[in-house]
Amino acid sequence: MRKLQNNTKYLFITALFIILLINFLSDSINRYYYQIIIYCGINIILATSLNLINGYTGQFSLGHAGFMAIGAYVSASLSTYFAPALISLLGTGLVGKSIWFIFVLLCGGIAASVVGIIVGVPSLRLKGDYLAISTLGFSEIIRVVIQNLNFIGASQGFRGVYIYENGTRSLEMVSELSDVQYVFYEIPKYTDFFWTYLVAAVIIFSITNMIRSTYGRGFIAVKDDEVAAEAMGINTTKFKVTAFIIGAFFAGIAGGLYSHFLTYINPEDFNFLRSVEIVAMVILGGMGSTFGVVIAAIVLTLLPELLRDIQQYRMIIYALLLIIMMILRPQGLFGVRLHRKRKTNV
Amino acid sequence: MSFVKEILKLVNCTIRFGGLTAVDNVSTYVGENELVGMIGPNGAGKTTVFNIITGVYDPSEGDIIFNGESLVKYKPYQVTHKGIARTFQNIRLCPSLSVKDNVRVSYNNWCKSKLFSSIFQLKSYHDEEKEIDRQIHELLEMFDLHVDADEYAKNLPYGDQRKLEIVRALATKPKLLLLDEPAAGMNPSEKKELMDLILTVKDKFNISILLVEHDMNVVMGVCERIFVLDYGKKIAEGKPEDIQKDPKVIEAYLGEQISNA
Ligand SMILES: Nc1ncnc2c1ncn2[C@@H]1O[C@H](COP(=O)(O)OP(=O)(O)OP(=O)(O)O)[C@@H](O)[C@H]1O
Ligand SMILES: [Mg+2]
Repeated sequence: MRKLQNNTKYLFITALFIILLINFLSDSINRYYYQIIIYCGINIILATSLNLINGYTGQFSLGHAGFMAIGAYVSASLSTYFAPALISLLGTGLVGKSIWFIFVLLCGGIAASVVGIIVGVPSLRLKGDYLAISTLGFSEIIRVVIQNLNFIGASQGFRGVYIYENGTRSLEMVSELSDVQYVFYEIPKYTDFFWTYLVAAVIIFSITNMIRSTYGRGFIAVKDDEVAAEAMGINTTKFKVTAFIIGAFFAGIAGGLYSHFLTYINPEDFNFLRSVEIVAMVILGGMGSTFGVVIAAIVLTLLPELLRDIQQYRMIIYALLLIIMMILRPQGLFGVRLHRKRKTNV
Repeated sequence: MSFVKEILKLVNCTIRFGGLTAVDNVSTYVGENELVGMIGPNGAGKTTVFNIITGVYDPSEGDIIFNGESLVKYKPYQVTHKGIARTFQNIRLCPSLSVKDNVRVSYNNWCKSKLFSSIFQLKSYHDEEKEIDRQIHELLEMFDLHVDADEYAKNLPYGDQRKLEIVRALATKPKLLLLDEPAAGMNPSEKKELMDLILTVKDKFNISILLVEHDMNVVMGVCERIFVLDYGKKIAEGKPEDIQKDPKVIEAYLGEQISNA
């Protein structure tokens, strides 16, 4: 047992080295492929974090895109509106930029998990379909609110902000201030292979370690039988809310990575279909199998690219895929294999 | 009347589900390190009494006192923290967890390593998990389940699943154990074996037990005191041999036989 758990530490360190190595080579990768690789990483983070809520804890949340939106917008607005302050404080060197990036990502994640508590506490009294509908409703509310916030571009989307010397901040050039100096601070393109896959490695490592522990088994007990878990002394509400907070936190960070990669975000990027996509990854991968969900996230990121010509049918293909899965392999692609492995190892 | 220290006391407990009074003004007690039997025909309200004690339902009237404190305001998990553990009449194990991990869940009440120490794999975490592993193994061994420790709980034979429910309840380190028909579905020799085991456990961990069991022979053999429910009312209470002769009890059970026939 001990040996196995130490192994995850070595695995993590090895993963870090590989990530660093690939990062050095990343300049030679074709831009289009590079973008897909980044999307894969972001989707891995989104899917594994949702898997903690839907897979391990058994609470059907359908609002992950909402948490992602919070993280994307909070980090992007910090990186633009506060850019002058951040530059004067941290400089423009690699270390300064890294601290800046970590800071805005964390803020995005924390904001998302605060919203996670606000959404989670009332919603988690509901079960099954009702929980799915209420989380969906909340994430749509988040999107509609953003669509009406002018300082982050409302439904036009958000690219950056003009900051004038006299302190005026505006999303567009102000004609009355045509003779005043200004700088356009756009969302900095900080997200690269290293940061994306560092976060992905961190979340995989954290969730794997946590689920294996005595504490983590509590999440699975909540999924398996709430009444029994409660009778064994598990505060089921607390476990559900904790899963929600952790899930929302990483979704928020994924949102921050997304906005700092695209450098342009639009509320429509975080609509209902995005949530469905993430849920599809979790179901395809096998609820509650981190490995399976990682593979499913990669497959479902690549699939639409391969099917570019029939883009408009993407959602139909997803739906068909899920129906076929439910019939042929309800446990997901990797559900069983992983269980068997765990049985012999631990 | 009694010389034992009362650990659990039911005071005029009543619960109504709509028009049905499932438990009707029941008062009784369980003493320290005592094994009390609760019997009664089908639908008498035995499981409901367990549900009231453990906070699944709030009593419509009356009070439940455990170690001098009222349990009425507590949720089920808090009742477990206070020191009452239970098993379920219809087995409720975690099917996707191994036998070992089903027991491990109960150690959540005691383990100090939570989120951070488990993620960062601190030394304190490893030491604690090791100790928990040792204790789980010890408990499973007592019940002869250690060979199946890594098997899925749902793959165990029915009788072993019942035993696992007891192990899991014991792992919460209770002072009072509520067993809801733990020997249901077992043959007479298995029943005997289980009852001996329950007696051993009671003395080894110095706990009190409230036992529900349909099989009169089993209850008569192990219980120090028995009370009988019928239609939610307590109709008799006393030593096994007195209960056996009680005309009200005989009538309640005969009535059942007639209606079953
Ligand atoms: N939640 C509930 N809502 C309505 N009625 C209930 C509820 N729980 C129990 N009852 C009713 O209360 C009565 C007592 O049920 P209970 O399960 O406590 O009986 P029991 O003595 O455990 O019977 P058995 O020997 O069959 O296990 C039954 O008539 C049952 O239908
Ligand atoms: Mg019952």
